[in-house]
Amino acid sequence: MSQAAAAWLLGGALLLAGAFAWAWLRRAREAESLFAETRRKLEQLQREFERFAPPDLVERLTAGRGDVAPQRRQVTMLFADLRGFTSLCDRLDPGLTVSILNDYFRHMSGAIGRHHGHITELVGDGLLALFGALENNPWQCRDAVLAALDMRAALAAYNAELSAKSLPQLQFGIGIHSGEVIVGVMGAGELNKFTVTGDPINVASRVEGLTRDLGVDLLITEQVRAALDAGFRVRPMPPTPVKGKPEPIQTYHVESVDNR
Amino acid sequence: MAQLLNEIEWHEPLLAPDIDPAWEAELKSRGGNVSEVDRRVAPSPWLRETCLGITLGKACALPAHLFNVAALVTSQENACRYCYGANRAYMKMLGYPESFIRRIEQDVHLAELDEKERALVTFCRNLARSRPRPALAERDALVRLGYTRAAAHEIALWIALGCFYNRVSILIASPPELGFEGWVGAKRRWFALAGPVMRILAARRRQGKPDPAATDAALRAGIYGSVLAPLAGLPGAMIMKSALEGAFASNVLSRGTKALMFAIVARSLDCRPSETEARRLLAAEGFSDAEIEKSLASLESARVPASEARLLPWVRDTVHFQTAQIQGRTRELAAAIGNAAVLEAIGVAALANATVRLAMLVE
Repeated sequence: MSQAAAAWLLGGALLLAGAFAWAWLRRAREAESLFAETRRKLEQLQREFERFAPPDLVERLTAGRGDVAPQRRQVTMLFADLRGFTSLCDRLDPGLTVSILNDYFRHMSGAIGRHHGHITELVGDGLLALFGALENNPWQCRDAVLAALDMRAALAAYNAELSAKSLPQLQFGIGIHSGEVIVGVMGAGELNKFTVTGDPINVASRVEGLTRDLGVDLLITEQVRAALDAGFRVRPMPPTPVKGKPEPIQTYHVESVDNR
Repeated sequence: MAQLLNEIEWHEPLLAPDIDPAWEAELKSRGGNVSEVDRRVAPSPWLRETCLGITLGKACALPAHLFNVAALVTSQENACRYCYGANRAYMKMLGYPESFIRRIEQDVHLAELDEKERALVTFCRNLARSRPRPALAERDALVRLGYTRAAAHEIALWIALGCFYNRVSILIASPPELGFEGWVGAKRRWFALAGPVMRILAARRRQGKPDPAATDAALRAGIYGSVLAPLAGLPGAMIMKSALEGAFASNVLSRGTKALMFAIVARSLDCRPSETEARRLLAAEGFSDAEIEKSLASLESARVPASEARLLPWVRDTVHFQTAQIQGRTRELAAAIGNAAVLEAIGVAALANATVRLAMLVE
């Protein structure tokens, strides 16, 4: 083969290799950009998802970790319900009603989060918050009561805002109980949520209902009171029968806590 | 989801720099650079020594490349703007491509990491986060993947020390090293070329030899000896030991308060060996079992001086936190107890968190 032909062949081979390399690089860039876009969408989805479930839970679910499997845990449950809000809804503009309710939930959520709890359910004007459901929390009863006292202060501050706008003030009742429940992701097909089930959740709900009958805003059960120290000022209430329990249950009204 | 650098909310510094020319001269003579953290922890002799020990620390079983990755992941997981920014800039200085760093940050398993390296990243995230804290089985998993037992222990040690430094930086809200970050950013092309050489030099600097002073007996003899014993021979072991001894010898806070702070962090992470060690220290201070139990249940104690009572509920919040929130709480604490006490409390809280994470090696 002549030198000229060899040079042509070499040149052709180099050109071909260059074309392959260029095409490969272009593909790699496209894949990189596609990957970055997918990653961005996933991150956005995860952040959106965190509006509907505690960030820790979202992290565990997206990481595919097995620790969201159902398990029995000691959990403290806090039920809060607005009193007379349904009749208020009938009188107020729907937009204003939703705005008041959203602001109320924002205040309550802040108080609950500051004390290591998370809201797991919002039903109408009621909420259920859990303490110790996602991780070990030896101070869950104390946290729940401190959260409730913080919620009381937050509601007073919010009522002052409402009053300044000549809007009706809100009142709530809170019931707190602690016990062993099953925690896990529960639901059917399209709608699932991380929540708890078991008798203690019914007791917590009933105790919240008792706040109306006993004319107080915050009641705890004996199990919760036993975990509190002397800095919490509590007043025993008359034992009261509740649905589903053979014996009346003893509750306590939490008045205040020392400066902490 | 671990936050990225620009997502971390960061407060103004809690403490003003405390210029100590003699200390700064010594720090430089020992090969350190005077950082924003060094300037702020200078009033506490044990704390400044520990921080310097960490920045100059050496590893004998853990390759420098993995050391860098572990430091980045730990600081990101702890949402420490100061350390995360500095580690990121340091890696860029060593020529790591931005795409590589980004993939590590985003926990993307397509990164140029093999199975062993990916396991290390996951272990770093799990131990730093500790929700819940990994068990000994996870160390064994690293050993099965080919890490030596010493390397696995060294990984746990440096994650624990990273958690210590991250917490100190977060709680004092140290201003980020923007000068260094900006300088590395401005010279990125130069570092992209010179990085591989820089990486070799940095690896040599980081490479240590087994420490003959860190024997099993020496480590076992002191405070939290049972937790430190698995670190025998590692060059970083004495950093932990000196920090524990320095913290408990310091008289800025009462010894009982410090032991209770350790016990609270141990209970928060459900760590029996750490709680047992803390109970031993409390018993030596005259606490009865009932008093310890009551203090742990209520996060208060009649034996703790009134001026230190706020430290007990606060230390519990240093285990898992939102960065800006804990910085706000620490500022309130500083206003109540003063700068000297708050600096000491920050050191003790950071050390308790590091020690309890390290205790995974003995569970």
